[in-house]
Amino acid sequence: MESIKLRKITSLWILIVLVLFIVNIVLGILMRLNQGEIIHQSPITFYANMTTHGLTQIGIWFVAGMAAVNYLLQRYVKTSYSANVVAMVLTVIGILMLWASTYIGKFHAGWTFLYPLPLKIMWAKWATPMFLGSILVMGVGWLTWSVSMMTQLLKKYPLTRALAWQHFKKNPSTQTPPFILISMITLIGIIACLLGAVLLLAMYSAEYFSNGTFVNDALLMKNLTFFFGHTIANEMLYLGLAVIYELFPEVGGRPKWKTTWYVALAWNCTLVFILTAFFHHLYMDFVQPVGFQIVGQIASYMASLPAASVTIFSVLVAVYRTPIKWSLTNLLFFIGVAGWVIGGLGAVIDVTITNNFVLHNTLWVPAHFHTYNALGNVLFSLAFFHWFFNPIYQGHP
Amino acid sequence: MQNSILMLFLVLAALSALVFTFVFISSKKAGMSVQGLSNPLRKRFWFLLILFVVLGIFASVTIPRSPYFLFADENPSRVVHVAAMQFAFIMSEKAIDPKSPVGEASIELPANELVEFRVTSLDVNHGFAIYDQSNRLIAQTQAMPGYVNRLRWKFKEPGKYTILCLEFCGMAHQVMRSSFTVK
Repeated sequence: MESIKLRKITSLWILIVLVLFIVNIVLGILMRLNQGEIIHQSPITFYANMTTHGLTQIGIWFVAGMAAVNYLLQRYVKTSYSANVVAMVLTVIGILMLWASTYIGKFHAGWTFLYPLPLKIMWAKWATPMFLGSILVMGVGWLTWSVSMMTQLLKKYPLTRALAWQHFKKNPSTQTPPFILISMITLIGIIACLLGAVLLLAMYSAEYFSNGTFVNDALLMKNLTFFFGHTIANEMLYLGLAVIYELFPEVGGRPKWKTTWYVALAWNCTLVFILTAFFHHLYMDFVQPVGFQIVGQIASYMASLPAASVTIFSVLVAVYRTPIKWSLTNLLFFIGVAGWVIGGLGAVIDVTITNNFVLHNTLWVPAHFHTYNALGNVLFSLAFFHWFFNPIYQGHP
Repeated sequence: MQNSILMLFLVLAALSALVFTFVFISSKKAGMSVQGLSNPLRKRFWFLLILFVVLGIFASVTIPRSPYFLFADENPSRVVHVAAMQFAFIMSEKAIDPKSPVGEASIELPANELVEFRVTSLDVNHGFAIYDQSNRLIAQTQAMPGYVNRLRWKFKEPGKYTILCLEFCGMAHQVMRSSFTVK
């Protein structure tokens, strides 16, 4: 019964994601047609589309990853159906509020809604609280969902075991499945950045309701914005990687992957690098302490090491001269990893401060992001969707 | 600069695509027997070490050349104050009063001498990006309310340089531009 309910809600998540994905693709095409002067939209319509496109896209691929991880997590621990429902209801309400703010209220502060732009009202007055409220509603839903999953995980796997620290010793007595390790690392990152968003929204409301008596610090607000925005965009990819570790060998008819000391080390390091890499969004703010700028470059470089030498290398080793039962599912995973590598190369080039000096906020940024998202993360989720609906694999989790 | 960055990316992307294609074909040709990769742990270690060394070299070469350290030991021969606001740049060689911001109609700067731009914003975040005559981005910083970013640069070529806002700042962001001349 429980698993039927979970299957139904996961199907609904997939449906919501795919419908919104198609709408979002249309928005993207309209923006490009406008830039190419084939159609002519007013700047306000264009920027409202830009705001909606960016935030909806991040939102849907994040929930797609969460829904997949929740579904597979049921193989190991009992997950909360109510938390899943709460997340879905709040996500749908949040998206509707977002769209109301951009399309009815004409709110158009961009997907980064960089302080203090949302407070410089150039749209319906109610659109700013509606927009910030939409982020709050979605954030609360996702926080509930992630905390619930983490709590269930911790009931079975104590923290040190969930983080696979026993693998740093010789002959560990227990195994932590890679899926549990990656889910735990990713959930910690997600909860941290969502708490950052809560703080950001609290500071916005403090200023909004102060009638001009309280003004935030623009540099602090920008740091908080990217701690939230960069990290959540990055974590959604890691949710996809958790799914790959679980399903790629299984679908290909190969033995399950195991956690080893270097897998454990790589993912524990990833947690640190992922939470400090966001500084690269502030390279062109020369007043930011230089130490943070250097941490930004080094953490962003270092984040690529465990990704390349553990995950990507493992996928290549698992396929090289090995008979695999190829299906659309693992083909999408495999091409997705290649797309992630290519988009990642664009990212590593851009996180080099001297390169960023001539690339920051140019078309390079959406280009690399769309490469790793559309050719990487989206394919990971589509692979899961294909696996999920394929009758051959039914009976799982 | 942008051309060499693009070339580097294209070469690395093509190499990666080749590796993935090669590995995929090797799986299709594998038949029923698992031949796999011999000594994968050792190869993984070498791959990691090479990557670490390459990135280490990149970091140690590029970080000291970051814009924060550019011409740090020299004194600028000219200072230009820049106050960005929706949707214009106000530039002056005198300090700008934020209560009644007034700029100069045109700015002329000397070639091959150090110029310091002191960039701030009077409202929201903006970008201050300098493009040369071939529309190539050569230097930039952000304009942030409450802060002054100091961008130092020496212009080699005389001519007209364009400034564009590179941080989305509202409905007329796309028309926010200005210029100065280097003689």
